[in-house]
Amino acid sequence: MHIGENNSFGRIGPFAVFYPTQPVLANIRLNTHGDIPGRLFVVEGIDGSGKSTQLSLLHKWLQAKGYGVVFSQWNSSPLVKDTTKLGKKKKMLTPATFSLIHATDFADRTEHSILPLLKAGAVVLCDRYVYTAFARDVARGMDRSWVRDLYRFAATPAVAFYFRVPLETAIGRLVGARDGFKFYEAGLDLGLSDDPTESFRLFQGRIIDEYEKMIPEFGLTVVDATLPVEVQQTQVRQIVTNHLERATNLRVKP
Amino acid sequence: MRKTYGNLLPGMKLSDLQGKLIVVEGTDGAGRTTQIDLLKPWLEELGHAVLDTGISRSSLAGEGIKRAKEGNNLGRVTQSLFYATDFVDRLENEIVPALRAGFVVLTDRYIYSLMARAIVRGMDGAWIRSIFGVALVPDAVFYLRLGIDDLIPRVIYSRGFDYWESGVDLFPGQDMYDSFRNYQTALLAEFDRLSVEYQFDTVDASVEPRAVFAQLKEKVLDVLESDSRKAFISKMYDRTVTTPAPKLAPAHPAGPAEGTRDLDLLLRKAAQRYLDRSIEHALDPSNGNGHGALHHK
Repeated sequence: MHIGENNSFGRIGPFAVFYPTQPVLANIRLNTHGDIPGRLFVVEGIDGSGKSTQLSLLHKWLQAKGYGVVFSQWNSSPLVKDTTKLGKKKKMLTPATFSLIHATDFADRTEHSILPLLKAGAVVLCDRYVYTAFARDVARGMDRSWVRDLYRFAATPAVAFYFRVPLETAIGRLVGARDGFKFYEAGLDLGLSDDPTESFRLFQGRIIDEYEKMIPEFGLTVVDATLPVEVQQTQVRQIVTNHLERATNLRVKP
Repeated sequence: MRKTYGNLLPGMKLSDLQGKLIVVEGTDGAGRTTQIDLLKPWLEELGHAVLDTGISRSSLAGEGIKRAKEGNNLGRVTQSLFYATDFVDRLENEIVPALRAGFVVLTDRYIYSLMARAIVRGMDGAWIRSIFGVALVPDAVFYLRLGIDDLIPRVIYSRGFDYWESGVDLFPGQDMYDSFRNYQTALLAEFDRLSVEYQFDTVDASVEPRAVFAQLKEKVLDVLESDSRKAFISKMYDRTVTTPAPKLAPAHPAGPAEGTRDLDLLLRKAAQRYLDRSIEHALDPSNGNGHGALHHK
C-alpha cells in the first residue's frame, strides 16, 4: 500500500541557502519522482513485535542485491541522545518534554542523515518513525493534532510497515529475553500501575489502540507479526521490491 | 484565569496561578539582561518573591544545547525543537510552580525570540506557532527595541560577534559584520511583526539603561498594582455585601446601580492608598533606590 497523498506531514523544504524568500517547510513531497530519488522504508510496532528482526533481514537482503542502504535508528542523534539519556535516567521527562526531545532527535537525523541520503539516492531504513511518536505521545496524553503538527517536517516514507501482534504474544516474547521493563518504556511515569509488567501491559495497550487508528489515517501496511519470520519477510521483500522496481536513479554499488 | 496561546499540556492546571509572568524581550544586545539584573533586586526590595529564568537554562536541555552549539552543526529544525524542549521544561518545572506560589516571574526572552529565530531561518510560521501554543499568555511583554545601527556598536564594543548571534548558519560565506547585519535586521523585522500580533509593550532601548529602567519600573508596578488593587477592592466589596446592607436612598433612581457606585468609591479609596504607599516608599531612605534623597531635602 502506498502512503496517501493527503497525509498531514511529509512536507519539507530545501536545505540549501534560501533566505529570505522560501520557507523550510515548503511544499515539496519526498515520495514523488523528481529531485529526491531515494526511497524510505520504515517499520513500526510495539516492543516484541519482531519489527527489528524483519528490518535487519531486509537490510542484509537489499545490501546483497547491491543497493546503497542506510539504517537509522530511533533516538540515536549524536547531538541529542545525551539529553534524552539524562532526562530518562533522572526521570525528568514529562509527556511534553518526552515528546519534544524525541522530536529534536528525529529532526537532527532528518536534517543530517535521512534527507541528504534520500537526495543522494539511497534506500533508507528506519526502525521506528514518526508513528512511534504519534502512538506514544498520545498514549501519554499529548494532543493528537499537536503531535502530528510537530513532525510536519518529516519525510514521507514509501512504505510504513506495521507489525501487528497481540499484546500477550509480545509480552511473552519480551519476558524471557530481558531483565525487565524500563521506566518510560513501561509507561511508569503515568502512574497506571506500580507493577512494571502491569504498567507495561496497560501502556502498550494504549499504544496499540493508537497504531490501529493510524492504519487508515496514514495507510500503514499491516504485517501479521504472529506468522513465521520467513513468511513475514517474504511479504516485506515483495512489497519493497515493487517499490524499488518503479524507482529510477537509486544509488547502486558499482 | 490564565490562558495558553493554544493547546494545554497534560497535567497543567491553569487555576491558582496568581503570580505575575513578565517577559523582557529584545534582540541580542538590547540590554535585556542588564534590565532584569536591575528589576530583580528592586522587586525583592518591594517584597515580591522573584524567579528569573531565560533561554537554555533548563536542567534538562541547557547543557545539551550548549554542547550542540559548540559544534556549529546544529540544523534549523533541530535547533527550533531543542529550544522548545528547553522552554517547556522550564515552563512545567519552574514557571508554572513559581506562578502558583505567587512569584513574580521575570523571563529573559520568551517564545517570541524563539519564534523570530525560527521564522528568519525559514520555518513555517504556523508550525512554530502551533508548537509554542502550549505557552502561557504572560501578563506583560516589554520589548526593548534597538535599531540595527544602535545595536552594532554595542555588540562590537562588548563581546564581539558571536557565530549564532550573527546568523552565520544562515549566511555562510559572508563576513561576520555583513552576516550580523543581515541576520539582526531580519530578526528586528520579525520582532516588529510579532509585537503587533502579541501586543508587546515597546520600550525604546537606545537611551541610557537607567532611563529604560525607570520606564520599566513604572510599567511593572502597573502590572503588579493593578492586580493587588483589584484584589483589595473585591475583598472590600465582599465585606459590604455580607454586612447588613446600609440603607442608601437612591439619589437618582435611573442612575447607576448601587454596587457600581460602591465600587467607584472603593476604587478611589484604593487609588489613594496606592498613591500614599508609593509616596511613602519614595520617601523612605532605607530602600536605597536613590529616591530616598528626597527625604533629606
